[in-house]
Order: sequence, then C-alpha cells, then structure tokens
Amino acid sequence: MAMALPLKPTHVSESEGFASDQKVVKFAVVKKQEEQDHSRKGELISFEETMLPHLDAAHNLAKWLLRNEQDAQDVVQEAYLRAFRSFGGFHGGNGRAWLLTIVRNTSYTLLKKNRAADFTTFDEEIHAPTDESVSPVTTLEQSEDAELIKEAINELPAEFREILVLRHQEGLSYKEIAGIAQIPPGTVMSRLARARGKLKEYLAARIGKEK
Amino acid sequence: MNCKEVINLMDGYLDSELDPITSQTIEQHLRDCPSCDRAYTAHGSLMRAIGSASPYHKSPAGLRERIQFSLREEIAEHPMRDLSQLAQRLSPKPQAGARTIHVGTPWNWLALAAAIIFAAIITFNLMPRLRPGADQLLATQLIASHVRSLMANHLTDVASSDQHTVKPWLDTKLDFAPAVPDLSGKGFPLVGGRLDYLDNRPVAALVYQRRKHFINLFVWPTESNAAKATKTISRQGYHLLHWANSDFNYWAVSDVNADELQTFKQGFEEQTRPH
Repeated sequence: MAMALPLKPTHVSESEGFASDQKVVKFAVVKKQEEQDHSRKGELISFEETMLPHLDAAHNLAKWLLRNEQDAQDVVQEAYLRAFRSFGGFHGGNGRAWLLTIVRNTSYTLLKKNRAADFTTFDEEIHAPTDESVSPVTTLEQSEDAELIKEAINELPAEFREILVLRHQEGLSYKEIAGIAQIPPGTVMSRLARARGKLKEYLAARIGKEK
Repeated sequence: MNCKEVINLMDGYLDSELDPITSQTIEQHLRDCPSCDRAYTAHGSLMRAIGSASPYHKSPAGLRERIQFSLREEIAEHPMRDLSQLAQRLSPKPQAGARTIHVGTPWNWLALAAAIIFAAIITFNLMPRLRPGADQLLATQLIASHVRSLMANHLTDVASSDQHTVKPWLDTKLDFAPAVPDLSGKGFPLVGGRLDYLDNRPVAALVYQRRKHFINLFVWPTESNAAKATKTISRQGYHLLHWANSDFNYWAVSDVNADELQTFKQGFEEQTRPH
C-alpha cells in the first residue's frame, strides 16, 4: 500500500500541517490493512477446514452435471471462490449441502451459457422402451454394467442427473435435496420417481437394441 | 390404499422417507398384493444398481491445490472485502450475468483490482476531511448490515429481552461496554444483541422491536474529536439516525419512520442519562 501514498490530493496538500496528517493516514492504512489481513487469513483457515473435506462431493456433482472434466474443475474452483465470498452467511449446519448448492448453481450458470439444448425436456419418443419383453433390471443385475448406467444417467436431463447423484451417491435426505435443487420438499419424491423411471426406460431401450 | 397410490409412493417408501404410518400401510399392502410386490422388488434392484454401478467422480490430483491457490489470490486481491461486498449488494443492477468462469487471473486484472482497492482505502482513510462522503459510505455499510441481519437469519447472537443478559454478553465480546437500556415501556422491546463489523472495527448491534419492525442500534466508542451533531439520513426506504455523546457513537437504522426513530432516540437517551 505504501506505493500509493505519494498520491496527494492537491486541495489537501495546501493546508497546513499536512505532513503530520499524512503520517497519521499512512499509519492508519497500514494498521487497518494488517488487521484485515489477519482476520481474513483466519476466515480462510476456518473456511478450508469446513469446506475442503467436501471437495470430492463438489467435483462429483459438477462432473455429472457438466459431463466434461475441464468444465467441472473450473466450476468447482469458481464455486469455492463464491462460497468463500459468502462464507459469512454460513452459520453452521450441513456444510456439504451448503457447498453443493453453490456448486450446482455455478454449474447451471455454465450449462445455460454453453448448451441451451441441455434444458430441453426429455424426448419421450426417442427414449421410449422399444421392447417391453426385456426387463432391464434383470439384465442389469446380471451384468452390473457401470458403463451402461453411466451412459444412461448422462443421457438424462440435468435436473434428473442432479437428483440421482444427490440421492444415490451423496445419500442426502429429501429435505437436503430440496434445499440444493431449490424445489419444494414435496417435489423431491416425484422427481426422483420420474428420473428413475426415465433411466429404466433408457436402459430397456439400450438393452433391447443390443439384442 | 390402492395399488396406484402404493406405486406412486414406492420411491419414498424405498428411500425410507415416508412417515411410519404410511410405511406400515404400504408394507401391509405389499404382503397382500403380489403384483405390487413384484414392482417393489424390481424398483428396489434398479435403485441398488444405480447406487452401486454409477461411478463416483473423485476430485483429481491438483484441484485442491488450485483452489487453495485461488483463495489466497482472492484474499490478496480483495482485502477490503466489506466494501466490495457492499457495493455488490447495494448496486441497483447486480452484475450476476456478467460473472465469468475463469481459469487463471490475468495480471492486468490484478493490477486493476489493486488500483481499485487502493483508491477505496485512500478514500476511506481521508474521509474525516470529506465529511459528507464518509457519512454516505458509513450509511451504506449501516443499511447493508441492517438488511443482512434481517435477511440471513442472523438478527441476534444473543436473543433475549433481558438487558441484564444482553449487556454482559456484549461486554465479554468487546473492548467497550455499551449501555443496554430497557425501552419496552416506550414501545421498543429489546430483542437481543449481536456483534457486527463497521467502519473497520467491531461494534455492538442492539436489536429493538417496534411493532413488526426491527431497529438495529449500532454502538461504538466515539473518537476524541468526532463531531457530536445529530444527523438523519434516509435512503432506499430506510431511515438512519445518528447521535453521539462523550462516550459512544450511536447509529439507529430501521424501516420505521423518522419520527419514531426520534422517539426511540429520546427514550434511549432518557434511560442512559447519567443519574
């Protein structure tokens, strides 16, 4: 900060006793700066202790939402910055859910910018089951094909991907999911049911095609 | 409960998110209805398959370090966070849409940020010479604190209508001991107290109520040569009333009207006048 002190406002420099005033100002600037640096470092340490343990969860959600590693990492980094800026508004409680809300919102900002297509509604005709006689569940249980499941989830719209990840991978309660996805608690079950239903239809269609 | 209702509630049942009575009703139905029971088994295995087969994308190596680095950069860039936050919060058109996802921060941005911060610090510290500007800036901070206290579910750190609870609590947190009078007789019951940070120092915030409205009274010690004049400022529908005595600076902020704020001040001064 010292570099900028020579910037004397001219109307002030004409007044008497400015030299001593300047010292006072300089002292005040340095002192306040130090105090603030100190408190911000303390805040950062407390923020990192609370939020860095949820880095895997943050990355997982971003990766599922964005389906792209580079975007996911950028979003997680941006989300942590945003989270730090509003850390004053976090008063304890579930840190993971709080952070995931920010990750989710940051992801959607990027999704909306990049791909408007992702927000089109699920196309019933394309994904309708082609062969009713095949039970996807039986086939799944036999193969437990992770790649197939991953592909199937990635085919779903973002709102379904998000709710499946929050429930099945993070094991969050309906109430916590409602907070993160910003939907009424009563909507969580029906959206989960629709997401699982679509996933089932997609798997049925895929398995039917391969046969 | 019929089959359709049971199928509709199946997800909540399998997620153990239903109330015990509904759960029991479904359990009973599944025992009696083979077709629903089959649906239950099938849906259950689908759910287990989603849980066990979907890959969990753990954070890659280096991301943690990258985040820690950018957080430290953030601190270096925005030491005057209070001001930048307030500016964002109170600017009429928040630039939410303009925010971009950036990978690295180019140096020219750092330089610009440094210049802005510097200008802010200088302005801030030269303020005593430029009184009206200082008041306006402080008013912005005061309104922001008031709004934030109502918005973030953090009105009080110590919630009590008893002055003998609030005062000792504040005394332990601050290096000064503000008076906490009981003004319920004047129609301003005490709600509680809170610590806040204003004008680059920790301050006491006493919260009083007027009907459905809240009054935040910010208190901190007066500087020796500070002006003691009473001031009123109105902005964005909020009224601010400032007064000071030889010990303390007072700023009352509320959405109650200016006259009521004056009544509040008179009541406060009567109660705190040395006997």
